[in-house]
Amino acid sequence: MSGFLLNRLSQSIVLLVIVSIIGFTVLNLMPGGPLAQFGLDPGMTQKDVERLATQLGLNRPLWIQYLDWAWRLLQGDWGHSFRDGSSVLAVIGRHLLATLLLMGTSTALAIAVGTWIGIRGATHRYSLFDYCATIGAMVALSVPTFWFGLIGIYIFTLKLGWVPAGNMYTIGDGSVLDYLHHLILPSLVLSLVHVAIWSRYMRTATLDALSQDFVKTARAKGVSERRILLKHVVGNALLPMITLAGMQLPSILTGALVTETVFTWPGMGRLFLDSLGYSDYPVVMGLLIFSAILVVLGNLIADIVIATVDPRIRLG
Amino acid sequence: MTEAKTASIYSRRSALQLMIAGAAGLAGSNLLDKPALARTSPAKPTGRVIVGLGQEPTVFNPLMVHIEVDDGVHFSVFDALFRIDPQGVIQPNLALEVPDQKNGGITEDGLKWRIRLRDDVRWHDGKPFTAEDVKFTLELIMNPNFRSWRTAGHALVRDITVISPTEISWRMEEAFAPYLSFLTETFIVPKHVLEKEANPNSAAFNQAPIGTGPFKWGQRVAGDHLELVANLDYFGEGPHIERLVFKYIPDLTVLYTQFKSGDIDLVGQPYITPDHYAEAKTLPNRVVTLVPRTSFESFYLNLERPQFKELAVREALYAAIDKEAIIQGLYYGVPSPTETFMPRQSFFFNANLPLHQFDVNRAGKILDQAGWAKGGDGIRTKNGVRLSFTNSTTSGDPLREQVQQFLQQTFAQLGVEMKISNLPAAVMWGEFWMQSQFDSVIVGSSYLIGADPDVTNRLHSRSIAAKGGRGSNNAQYANPEVDALLDKGARTFDPEARRAIYFRVQELVRRDLPFLPLYQSNAVEGLKKGINGFVPNGNTRTESWNALAWYWAS
Amino acid sequence: MTAIVVHAAPVRWWRSRAVNRFMRHHLALVGIAMITLLVLACAIGPHALPYDSLHIDLRARFAPPLTGQHYFGTDPLGRDLAVRLLMAGRVSLLVGFSAMLLSTLIGTLVGVTAGYRGGWVGAALMRMVDGFLSYPSIFLVLALAATLRPSPVMITVIIAVTSWMETARIVEAEVRSLREREFVQAARMVGLRRGHIMFREVLPNAVGPIIVAASLAVARAILLEAYISFLGYGIQPPLPSWGNMLNGAQQYLASAPWLAIIPGAAITIAVTSFNFIGDGLRDALDVRNDHI
Repeated sequence: MSGFLLNRLSQSIVLLVIVSIIGFTVLNLMPGGPLAQFGLDPGMTQKDVERLATQLGLNRPLWIQYLDWAWRLLQGDWGHSFRDGSSVLAVIGRHLLATLLLMGTSTALAIAVGTWIGIRGATHRYSLFDYCATIGAMVALSVPTFWFGLIGIYIFTLKLGWVPAGNMYTIGDGSVLDYLHHLILPSLVLSLVHVAIWSRYMRTATLDALSQDFVKTARAKGVSERRILLKHVVGNALLPMITLAGMQLPSILTGALVTETVFTWPGMGRLFLDSLGYSDYPVVMGLLIFSAILVVLGNLIADIVIATVDPRIRLG
Repeated sequence: MTEAKTASIYSRRSALQLMIAGAAGLAGSNLLDKPALARTSPAKPTGRVIVGLGQEPTVFNPLMVHIEVDDGVHFSVFDALFRIDPQGVIQPNLALEVPDQKNGGITEDGLKWRIRLRDDVRWHDGKPFTAEDVKFTLELIMNPNFRSWRTAGHALVRDITVISPTEISWRMEEAFAPYLSFLTETFIVPKHVLEKEANPNSAAFNQAPIGTGPFKWGQRVAGDHLELVANLDYFGEGPHIERLVFKYIPDLTVLYTQFKSGDIDLVGQPYITPDHYAEAKTLPNRVVTLVPRTSFESFYLNLERPQFKELAVREALYAAIDKEAIIQGLYYGVPSPTETFMPRQSFFFNANLPLHQFDVNRAGKILDQAGWAKGGDGIRTKNGVRLSFTNSTTSGDPLREQVQQFLQQTFAQLGVEMKISNLPAAVMWGEFWMQSQFDSVIVGSSYLIGADPDVTNRLHSRSIAAKGGRGSNNAQYANPEVDALLDKGARTFDPEARRAIYFRVQELVRRDLPFLPLYQSNAVEGLKKGINGFVPNGNTRTESWNALAWYWAS
Repeated sequence: MTAIVVHAAPVRWWRSRAVNRFMRHHLALVGIAMITLLVLACAIGPHALPYDSLHIDLRARFAPPLTGQHYFGTDPLGRDLAVRLLMAGRVSLLVGFSAMLLSTLIGTLVGVTAGYRGGWVGAALMRMVDGFLSYPSIFLVLALAATLRPSPVMITVIIAVTSWMETARIVEAEVRSLREREFVQAARMVGLRRGHIMFREVLPNAVGPIIVAASLAVARAILLEAYISFLGYGIQPPLPSWGNMLNGAQQYLASAPWLAIIPGAAITIAVTSFNFIGDGLRDALDVRNDHI
């Protein structure tokens, strides 16, 4: 196991290096740059622009800029934002909580609702519920998330006025109820795709488990259907669920990006789009590395769990 | 040699102009009424105002390079030596009076400046404000390691001398009249806080600023909002509200929705979109006005492109633009048509420029006479040059995109092919813009700093960055007569004399058409009915320039 | 286990077991029907309707659906929405399909090579795949769209370059398991060249998962094109695509909701159909089902 972990660790480091190099190159190859936002300022002259470019270190050769950034990263210095000079970690940290809140709620929702739908669909196979659930899942996977968010806003905010039009909480309120009020629609929209994925996964997993011999034995012994479900099916599906959760981790971050844009949610997705829009390279690189680390962790968790469950699969 | 006129001429003339131009369009603002700070303002600051902004303010050190939205915070937390009022008159703020050549604050040759400061100003941490802070501020701006904002004007300052805690003087390398306007946007920062910092770019001050302004720094929830609290020891009249909140709402439709629902009290940049104006006007308990701003929209050309070198082509293109349809149809009548870069509320606005006429037939004739004949594919050509070009603007701006598509269709009738290629803002305004790599651009920008008419940066031939110049004359416009006039204007302090100079500049620019002027922007500013003391000011970049005067009517 | 060679009568492909199973999958049939309808509508529709998709008429702006001959209403510039929707469909479907072809090509090449060669070549390639997968796909897409001038061709390339990884992974897994099968070992013993084995022996047997992945890739490509154009980086006006129609509609959500509802519904229908088809294909081609 330790050999496997070591192997994985070294591979992950190589991965991070590749990710950072590609990201750095693409970012810097993009025309324009962090000084474009001042292009229309009537008081800024070309001299000012050149001065700022030098001060931001943008005139050095690319490979020097990269090595400088990488060296600092290794020492724990993620860099400073081009926009306001504060440290990248501080910037990311400020937005982390909002994203965790949104992600956490929608994941919990997705797992709870998706699992219930999946199990019910499996136990009542080919029923109307199952049929609707399958179609529903398909449609849910096909709807563009941003469009779904817009329609949601149209119906629930503009027409019905049930939920607020964005942001995380009402200024001056900030109670738990207020947070929840703002959280409903965005987390519902974000969880849509994941409910679909979970329900289909649980359906398959339940079907697999139900056809196993130990279930037939349990039935023969007279154990109630409910107990069978709870103990055997869900119990066996737990570890694969963790696997799926691990693999879903990075995609939730991407999905959050879309949702945060539509709902004005001050999370990391919003930060990413804003920073990309201003060409704030240090923050964008910081977010890239962050997301890459998440991917590595997610895959690692998934692989370890799979290996633990199925000893036939050799690790590495 | 005319006697130097004082600032009073500014206010008399411009007030006259405003009355003639009609205060109708400026209804709702207290420009001609008595000051809004009547006895009805509360004795102790109470209440809270939430301002909604479409971009997030992130830079709180006013000397660091920043964008427009940051100004709202700067005006509230800091003070400058002077401030500019809605009429374009410069008023003293931290200074006791505005220096000019009459009171000796500025010498006759314009080179020596001497300013007297107030003695009753304190920083938010209690320490007294002195001339040392002013000196520190001006020097910090020119510090080569500091990511300062604009250095024009400040670069000419030499030998800053602190004569006493309330008196400061310096020498200018050359006479530069616009500097007074520049100083209205140069906020003073505390020496005793910043001098201790090894690296001013990453100082803690930048996230928790200390100023002399009517509001102190409260707290910030990044990506969401920031809160300022009243400074009870402020030397001026105010503040009257206890808390000032700037809320970040990147989606403009949501910004308007929150205004409608009352989640925000005041709409800040970029204000309400024109398609919501009609509805916004009818909202109960809301005050919605059209405020002229200094920015204007133009079809901007790159004069080094072979298609645009001929004046006939530019004239023809201008005649083929249906401005009426664009303003009334696409923009719902919100902006005002214009022939010049000078805002119409300015003292220096030339109202006698030839008016635009939309006439596609005339445009066709102009091109025919100039030798541009339609080729086999319907596009005009001359000497191997096809009248085909690209037009770009920031992607994601639906109204501008509509204008582009509309113009594309009209130009096609003329035999001109316009291709649309839009770019995201970070790409659009980078080298593509600054180094004149575009064919044509639809751009909305302001040419003025404060209310000063000096447009050297935009129209002087030595400001052509693509040719090694140091300005932003991206159209690569070069007219020696305009150059000479601009040089003279920057050295002249007398308003009347300057007026004549800039009138002539506008005439020449209108004749040469380096850009095709479309309209002057009018911001649809909205606020809740209970807020008094709000005065729009087209001479500043923010709507929150005088938050100290706001109060809730009881 | 000894290999038994069985000479069976050749089966016409439309009578094979896979096709039979596909036909029994109702949703997949619905999917095929919907896609056929869509493609026909987009191909013929613009010629049948009396309006031009590019003609701007400011007097007819924002007409709601069923106004006169405008079945779906008009957009902010007075252009008929139905015609624009169908023209946009051509662009979106074409971009989606082409992107799928390109990404499948790249993914298959990488996957087969990595799966068959194994060793450090395989590991390196798969790490590269992981590397590409680590990005928020949005990042690569947006960065590329900002760097390269957007045109339908460029958008197709960009989408393909950011979507080939899934296919590569699936193919690599499949090829890795096929590599140890007898027919491959037999081919090696006979002395066939490596390239020949990879692409003439192994690949045809891995076709099943590739087809499934391909149909799902079209769905994803359409969604991605919609998102890029929605953000403003994709297909440029005046050429319509479903994504950039949504971009223009966002602002008018309260006053003209049909501008947002209709293109979004079109995207959903198209993508759902491809997902149904993909699901059906997966069931049909799943080898495990051969034993049922």
